[in-house]
Amino acid sequence: MKILVCVKQVMEGESPVRVHDSGKWINPCASARFEMNPFDTYAVEEALQIRENVPGTLVHAVTVGPESSRDTLRRALGMGADEAVHILDTGTGYRPPFLTASWIAAYAGGKGYDLILTGIMSADEMNGQTGPMIAQSLSIPCASAVLYEKPGPDRTHISIEREIEGGARDMFEVKLPCVLTLQTGINAPRYPSLSMVLRARKKEITVIPAGVFVDQEPGLRLHSLYSPQKQRKGILLKGTMEEKAKQLMDILAQKALLT
Amino acid sequence: MGKKTAIIAEHHNGEISTVTYELLALAKGIQESEAGDICFFILGADTEKPAQTLSTRTGEPVHAVCIPGLAQYNGALYKKALSALFSRTPFDYILAPHSSSGMDYAPALSMALGGSCITGVKDVVRTDGALCFVRSLFGGKLSAKLTTDTGPLVLTLQPGALKAFSPEGKSQGPNQVSNQGTIERSVLDITDDNMVYAGTKASPSEGSDLARADVIVSGGRGIRDAQNYNHIEMLARLFPRSATGGSRPICDYKWIPYSKQVGITGTTVSPKLYIACGISGAPQHVEGMKNAGFIVAVNTDPDAPVFQIADVCIVEDLMEFIPFFIETFKQKRRKKDERNDLGESFLA
Repeated sequence: MKILVCVKQVMEGESPVRVHDSGKWINPCASARFEMNPFDTYAVEEALQIRENVPGTLVHAVTVGPESSRDTLRRALGMGADEAVHILDTGTGYRPPFLTASWIAAYAGGKGYDLILTGIMSADEMNGQTGPMIAQSLSIPCASAVLYEKPGPDRTHISIEREIEGGARDMFEVKLPCVLTLQTGINAPRYPSLSMVLRARKKEITVIPAGVFVDQEPGLRLHSLYSPQKQRKGILLKGTMEEKAKQLMDILAQKALLT
Repeated sequence: MGKKTAIIAEHHNGEISTVTYELLALAKGIQESEAGDICFFILGADTEKPAQTLSTRTGEPVHAVCIPGLAQYNGALYKKALSALFSRTPFDYILAPHSSSGMDYAPALSMALGGSCITGVKDVVRTDGALCFVRSLFGGKLSAKLTTDTGPLVLTLQPGALKAFSPEGKSQGPNQVSNQGTIERSVLDITDDNMVYAGTKASPSEGSDLARADVIVSGGRGIRDAQNYNHIEMLARLFPRSATGGSRPICDYKWIPYSKQVGITGTTVSPKLYIACGISGAPQHVEGMKNAGFIVAVNTDPDAPVFQIADVCIVEDLMEFIPFFIETFKQKRRKKDERNDLGESFLA
């Protein structure tokens, strides 16, 4: 099987996010650290597990982003991907998922991928659109929030389970080629071993400037970014830990929640 | 001629899901800025009962599309049916729930119609003359206003973000409007062998004790390791009728079983008291616990979105704060017991 895994570089969850003065995008502070979108690590792992079970499988990783996002492809190679492709976007503003998906689809079309995997969403923008839009662009089926997959013996179908509300799962037989967006917990993503990291450093990464793809209207415009307001009038406890513990105890006692 | 808004109704086992009425609230929000018609679309194998309910409760027109092969949600069939419907009858706004199904079909639908898509919408506002849709980014740390010039716009609404529409005139009895909406019925006999439904597996959260607890203490990634979950358990033991839960990530790490997961894909809870420890507050979790009577959040990150919905915000490391709190509480209780003991002996 030939598998394409779509990965994205995101800021680490604990890094502070501040709005750029223009209000049009974020301003990563100097200390900000970047990583592979945690949701996408499940997609890389799942592809590698398929390769272990289906002899002759090839795993390719693709990302769309600036120069620095190549680190994420190195990570994918370090985990065990065979090849990596960087669709280089030098734009600094907001890029709607429609463009990302269109470029990945333009790259992937006609290359004989049986399966395209990605995380259910990205940790930063949380759109969950890229995977389904790649499928639509390529006119192939897509299942989202997948928690189990097993390619059929004849490689024409894949059995999947997708998570629905409350944690139940709907089972489907999906025709290949298809796109699956994976729900967290489908596997335990591996850490790259040192030898794999060293090997990954030497691998060549194909770079394609996004400009080569047909120019398309982005559709969406980001009007502004801002910090959301509190929904409840919550009080912030101040003082030493001792004072905070006492205050909390008093509040809970007042509400008759802890006696 | 105004802008036309279509709402794709979500329904399960013949019942209309609450988010469908929240979608109507969003549609009315759009209507305030850009007057126009609203129409519900309801797809399924048996649409008669939910279509009746919708038309009675909202007074809006309903288009019931009976698709014999659609007893359960099937993404391929939904996309095929909806793109056919909206290619024939164009709408400016197409609203879907940000549910497991809505987020599955909406992005592809927008592309099939040559339009745009915004997922996880929380609100609609008019800013600088533009109709903007608000959504969360970075796990809820930021909000964005998005707008488009390319129609149609397909939106998915975050469940629980808006107050569900309820009819104002009570003269017709509860949950009824004075004028029932028209119901248009059609049958669409389509099939799709790209995706064939093969059954449903029950949730691991079924029968969990979370929904019955008065007090829930939950842990998130902030507990840092499986063994530290005992902090959560110790804190819960201070409260009668309590249960322990957790966020999705710590279930994914196999630190606790999925049956303890609080959130959209786990159990939705509304206890008297919810204590979130080391939980950042991703929308998927918040949606499952924000109806708790009182919310206490402990997190080292002062920007954690969980503080936006908490009644009491404590910026501390739970690993230090919880043992300290338990000790403080026990001391207080000991003192109280001593006083009681003294009192009794005096009386005796």
